[in-house]
Amino acid sequence: MDLTFLVVDDSVTMRRIVVNTLKNIGFVNYVEAADGKEALQKLHANTNINFVITDWNMPEMSGLELVKSIRGDENFANLPILMVTTRGVKEDIVEALKVKVSNYVVKPFTPAVLKDKIDQILSQ
Amino acid sequence: MSLKNNMADVFSKLDDLKTVFKFGEKVVPIIQNLIEFMKEIVPLLEQINTSIADSTKQMPKATYQINDVTSATELATNEILDLVDQISNTLERLEASVDGLIEQSKSRDELRIKLLNVLAGNDEAISIFNEYEKLQITSGEIDEYKQIIKSVSEDTYKITLSLQVQDITTQQLGAVNHLIVSVNNRLSSLIENIEKSDLHSDIEELSIELPKDVHFDANATYNNREGKQDAVDELIEVENKKTTQAEIDELFK
Repeated sequence: MDLTFLVVDDSVTMRRIVVNTLKNIGFVNYVEAADGKEALQKLHANTNINFVITDWNMPEMSGLELVKSIRGDENFANLPILMVTTRGVKEDIVEALKVKVSNYVVKPFTPAVLKDKIDQILSQ
Repeated sequence: MSLKNNMADVFSKLDDLKTVFKFGEKVVPIIQNLIEFMKEIVPLLEQINTSIADSTKQMPKATYQINDVTSATELATNEILDLVDQISNTLERLEASVDGLIEQSKSRDELRIKLLNVLAGNDEAISIFNEYEKLQITSGEIDEYKQIIKSVSEDTYKITLSLQVQDITTQQLGAVNHLIVSVNNRLSSLIENIEKSDLHSDIEELSIELPKDVHFDANATYNNREGKQDAVDELIEVENKKTTQAEIDELFK
């Protein structure tokens, strides 16, 4: 499947790692954003984006706020969103589920876990 | 009578005065001790005040240093990632060359069979040809090279994954920085109030809580164990299995 990913993380290192991992598992199309605000701009500017991978803790606009904004827009209501974050406590995961993230990965992740979650989301 | 009463009054007052003097005799040494204590404690308090003031002045420097560390590690991590990318590209080219060698090897095997047919009957030529063949790279060796390249490529990718530690330490350092700034602010206000001799309220205010708008995770940890992700998966499964009120209502219709 020819997917275009929007990779959102304020850490350049993490964006590169996520992108490298995506390439490694066969996904070569991607767009990058450093925070939620930039992600929304890119999402509205690029109609090819059909999968979002976002961090939680970011300046300007957090990942959680980004998910809320995306879900609040009927054009993107069903857009797959994978949260990749260091936040692993129960309350955070429940909060993320409440705003309707499609799945959740805790950093540091392995390629197998990332691929598994992407596959799970795509099969839904 | 009046004189008698007055005298009794005087004696009563004298008794009171005597009590006061007796009390004074007991209290004076205590007051003297208190004065001595104050003489000793005041310079000590001043010293503590100066020490807190000095520490407070150092705190901004500490936060700058932490920011420097964060920037330096991010720069270094990206340099490592650049090198890893270069190595990966070189390995890809190397792998393509090895694939070319495998194709060449197949063609060579076909030519070898043809040549041996041509040389049939010429034992000396066959012997020389066999010697020549021994010097060539075998297809087994080529496969081995390919395996080595694959292994190095996988290890290189593992380096990339391990560099996730940079993001996690950045968040931890961000949390430390935030605490330093908070402590600094509290101490500054404490120093100000020590001078106004109003300690209590500020000591109570010294507890520090992280605000909600920070963009770091104070609990970020670098942990490769799979348990953490398993716990998340389990929780998501449980949450997704929760029956909604609408579903429950449907059952009772």
